[in-house]
Amino acid sequence: MKKVALAAALALCFGVAQAQDKSIKISGFGAKTGPVRGFGVNSEAAMLAAAEVINKAGGVKLADGTKAKIAVDFYDDACNAEQGISVVRRIAGTDALVAIGPTCSNVAEPLFGILQKKVGDASDSGLQFPIFTDVAIKVGLAKISEWAFRNVPNEMIMYSSVFYWLRTTRPELKTVYGGVEEDFAHSRATWHVVMKDRAQANNFTVVGESKWLLADTNFATQVREMKKANADVIAISAHPFSMCGALKEMARQGVKPKVLVGLTSSSTTETLQGCGKQVQGMIIPTSFAPVTKDGKYASAETAKKKGAADLHSMAAWENMFILKDVMESEKITGKDVQGDRRKIRDGLAKLKQTKGLMGVTKRTDDREADKPYLFVQAKGNEWVVLHNPL
Amino acid sequence: MDFYFGLAQVIGVHTLLGLSAYIVLLTGQVSLAQAGFYAIGAYVAGMLTVLGGWHLVPALGASAVCGAAVACAVGFPALRVKGLMLVIATLAFGEGVRLFFFNFDYQIARGEIKVGPLGGEGFRQIRFFPENGWSTLEVMLFVWLFVVAAMALLWWFDRSRYGTVLRAVGEDELAAQSVGINLTAVKVSAMTVGGAIAGVGGGLYAHYTTHIEHSSFNILVATFAIAYPIVGGLRSVFGTLLAVVFVQGFLIEGLRFLGDWRNLLFGALIVLAMNLRPSGLLGTRRRA
Amino acid sequence: MLDFLQSLSDGVLFGATYALIGIGFTLVFGVMHKINMAYAAASIGGAYCGLLILKVMAGAPPALVFFCAFLSGGVLGAAVYVTCFHFIPLSSPLATLMSTVGMLLLVDEIVVHATDGMPQNYPAMFDDVMLRAGEFTMRGDLLLVFAVAVLCMVALLLVLYRTRLGLATRAVAQQPVAARLCGIRLERVNVTTFVITGLLGGIAGALIGASVGTLSPLLTTPLTVKGLIVTVIGGLGSIPGAIVAGLLVGGFENVLQLYRGVTERDLYVMLLLFVFLTFRPGGIFAPKGGRD
Repeated sequence: MKKVALAAALALCFGVAQAQDKSIKISGFGAKTGPVRGFGVNSEAAMLAAAEVINKAGGVKLADGTKAKIAVDFYDDACNAEQGISVVRRIAGTDALVAIGPTCSNVAEPLFGILQKKVGDASDSGLQFPIFTDVAIKVGLAKISEWAFRNVPNEMIMYSSVFYWLRTTRPELKTVYGGVEEDFAHSRATWHVVMKDRAQANNFTVVGESKWLLADTNFATQVREMKKANADVIAISAHPFSMCGALKEMARQGVKPKVLVGLTSSSTTETLQGCGKQVQGMIIPTSFAPVTKDGKYASAETAKKKGAADLHSMAAWENMFILKDVMESEKITGKDVQGDRRKIRDGLAKLKQTKGLMGVTKRTDDREADKPYLFVQAKGNEWVVLHNPL
Repeated sequence: MDFYFGLAQVIGVHTLLGLSAYIVLLTGQVSLAQAGFYAIGAYVAGMLTVLGGWHLVPALGASAVCGAAVACAVGFPALRVKGLMLVIATLAFGEGVRLFFFNFDYQIARGEIKVGPLGGEGFRQIRFFPENGWSTLEVMLFVWLFVVAAMALLWWFDRSRYGTVLRAVGEDELAAQSVGINLTAVKVSAMTVGGAIAGVGGGLYAHYTTHIEHSSFNILVATFAIAYPIVGGLRSVFGTLLAVVFVQGFLIEGLRFLGDWRNLLFGALIVLAMNLRPSGLLGTRRRA
Repeated sequence: MLDFLQSLSDGVLFGATYALIGIGFTLVFGVMHKINMAYAAASIGGAYCGLLILKVMAGAPPALVFFCAFLSGGVLGAAVYVTCFHFIPLSSPLATLMSTVGMLLLVDEIVVHATDGMPQNYPAMFDDVMLRAGEFTMRGDLLLVFAVAVLCMVALLLVLYRTRLGLATRAVAQQPVAARLCGIRLERVNVTTFVITGLLGGIAGALIGASVGTLSPLLTTPLTVKGLIVTVIGGLGSIPGAIVAGLLVGGFENVLQLYRGVTERDLYVMLLLFVFLTFRPGGIFAPKGGRD
C-alpha cells in the first residue's frame, strides 16, 4: 500500500502519465480497539478484498481515459468521538478522495457534525469531505450533513416488514414485548423509535418493555417482567453480549415466546459464539446473507483477507464498488483532490439506486439507503434464510 | 495541516482536563470527579449556545462558574475522607453526574427539528464553530488561548505563596495544619479552581466535537484527567502538558504506523513510563 | 411483596460476585495500602485463560475450566505485581495507581485482540438447577458463587490467622518497618498477597463468567467500579466487610432497579456510598469512634 502511494507521489512529481502508476486512495476507518474491534477488522478485510477485485479488473477509469488502481488504508478510531474526528481530519489531509466508516453511531454523529452542513455554503467552515458510512446504523444520521452518505439498512422498513409478515402469516400472534439495551445509542433508538412503532402500526399490542444496560450482568428482574407479560412475540434490541445474558436468563426462567425477534446488528457469528444454544429460532431482518452468487463471492474474497462477511462488512464491500462507479461516471481526474472529492459527493447525491450484493438498493433524498433485506433465523451453528419478503 | 490543528485542539482540551486535576493533586487529593465537572461544562455551554443562542465566550464563562460552583459544593463533604476513600467518593460523584445526563431530557423545537439534550441519545448539532465560519486554525488558537491562560494562572499560583500552601498540604497535612493553614479552605479552593478549569475544558469539548452524550464522560475520561498530571509529574504545569502530548499525540496518533500493535502498546507504555519515572516524566527524584 | 423478596434474593445472590472482587481489592489494600486498579481486569483475564483448556481439550468439564482460571489468575496476579509494583518505590502511591490503570487497559486490549472482542460462551455448573418455592426461585449457579465466596473468606481468614505466612502478612499490614526489623521479608509477603488475590480473582472471574453465561471485556469497568464501592462500604482492609458489602450492594441495586428502573439504578448505588462515607466512613465493621 505504501509503495503504491509512494509511486503515486512520484508519478505526480514527475508528471509521468503511465497508467499502472496511478492510484486513487479510499480510506477506511472504524473501531479496531475495544469490544467492537471485530467490526473494524471485518470492514477492513472487505475493503481490501473489494479493492483487489476492482484492481484485477483494471481499476478505475479516469477522465483522461487512463486507468488508476485503488489503494486502501484503514484507521482505528477506537469507537471514540475525538479519535474519529482526528482520523477523518488526517484522512482529509492526505490525497484520499473519500472515506468509508465509521463503526459506531456515537462517532458518526459528532463526525457528521464537523462536516459542512450544506454544500457550497461559504459561511459554514465545516470540513468538505465525502464520507460513505458502512456500519453506523442509528436511524436518521445522514441528514446532519450533505457530505454524509450511508449505505446501511433502513431499520424502519425492515422491521415494518417483519411485523407485517408476522401479522399475515401468524394471525394468532397478538402481543409484543420489548427488551432494550438502554444506554447504547443504536439499540435504544431501534426499540423506542423503530420496533415499537412498527409493531403497533401492524396492529400488535405492545404490552411492555424491559430495559438493561450494555454491560449489565444480571437480568433476573427484567426477565421476570417479561415472563409476567406473557407476550406472543418478544423483540430484543440489544447487542450480542447483553442479548446473550438476557437470553440465558430467559432460558433459566422458562420464558418461551412464540416468536423471538432480534436487532439487525446481532445477526452475526458473535451471537452464535456467545449463546448459540439460547438464540435458536430468533428471527432477524438483515441486509446481507451469503445466498446470491455475488454474495457468496464477496464472502469468500473477504474470508481470504481474514474477515467475516456480515451485513456491516458487506456494506463496506458494496461501497467500494459504488464509489468506483461514481468515480467513473463523474469523470474524476485523479489530479485535483478537492475537485474530485466534490465530484464524488455530487455523484453520490445524484444516485437514485445502486447495485448491491442482494439486489438493487434505492437511495433516498436524505442520503440514506433503502437496501434489500431478508429474514434470517438462527439454526444450528449459522443464520439461515427464513423468508425473502421482496 | 488541518489534522495537526485538530490534534492541537484535542491536546489543548485534554490539557485543561489534566490541569483541573493537577491543582487538586497538589493538595494530595486524587479526584476522579473531574469528568463530572467536564460534563457539566460541556452541557452548560452546549445548551447556552444551541438553545439560548449565546456567543461561545459568555457560555464558557457560565461553564466555568457552574463547574466551580459544583466543585466547591462537592469539595466540602468530600474532604471528610482521604486517600482511597476520596478516590472512590469522587469516582461515585463523577459517575453520578454521568448518570444524571443519561436521564436528562430538555428539548425545544427549532423549525422542524428538535434540539437539545435527549437522555441516552445525546445532544447533537452543537455547531457554533462551523456555523460561524471558524476555521480549524482559529478554533485551535481559541482553545489554546484558554490553555495558556490556565497554565499561566497555575504557574503563577505555583510561584506564589498560595502554591506553597497547596504543596504544604499535599506533603503533610498535619504539619501544614500545625503552622496555621486552614486545610478546608485550601482544599476546597483547589477543588473550585479545578472545577472551573474542567468546566471550560468541557465547554470547548462540546463545541469541537459537536455532539456529546453521557458515555463521553465515563470513568476512562476521569482516569485520564488524573493520569496526565501523574504521568507528567507534579513539579510544574508543563508536566501535564507533556503527558497529554505523550498520550494523545504519541500513543494515540503517533503510533498509528504500528497498526494493530498500537492499541496494545497504549497500556504497556503507560506501565513502562510509571516504572521508569515513578514521579512523572518531568518529576523530581523523590526521597526513597 | 413477592416481587420485592425475589429481587432482593436475586440481587443478594448476584452480589456474591461483587463480594469476591471486593475481597481482592481489600486484601491488597490491607497489606500494601495501595489500590490495584487492574484487579478486576486480571480476574476476567484469568477467566479467559480458563477457556484455553477447551481449545486443548474439547469438552473439558466446567470444573476443570474453573481450575485453570484459578491457576491463571495466580500467574496474572504475580505478573501484575512485578510489572506494576515491584520496581516502583513505596513512596509513590500515585505511580502504582497509574501503572495498574495502564495494566487494566493492557489486559483488556489483549483480551480484545485474542477474541476480536466477541463475547465468549462460558461453561457453567448447576446453571440448570433452580430452587423453587411456589413463585419464588433461586438460581443454583448463584448459590454456588455464594458458597465459593464464603469458602474463600473462611480459607483466607484461616491463612491470615492460623499460619506463619498470615502472621507475617498481618505484621506487614500493621507496621511494615517493624515487620522488616523482625526479619520478615517484605517482598515475599507482597508477592504472596498478589498471588493469593490473583488465585481468588481467577476463580471469581470464572464464576462471574459462568453466572452471566458469557465473557466480554465489557465486564471489567462495571466490576472495577462495583468492586471498589464494595471495598469502601465494607471498610478498607476488612474481608468480612467486603463480603457483607458485596451482598448489600447487590441486593440494594436490584431492589432499586425494580422500583426506579435500570437507568437510575446506579445513581442510588452512588448515593448509598455517600451515605456510608458520611455516617460510617470506616465501613460496616468499623469499630466505634472511627478508624486509625
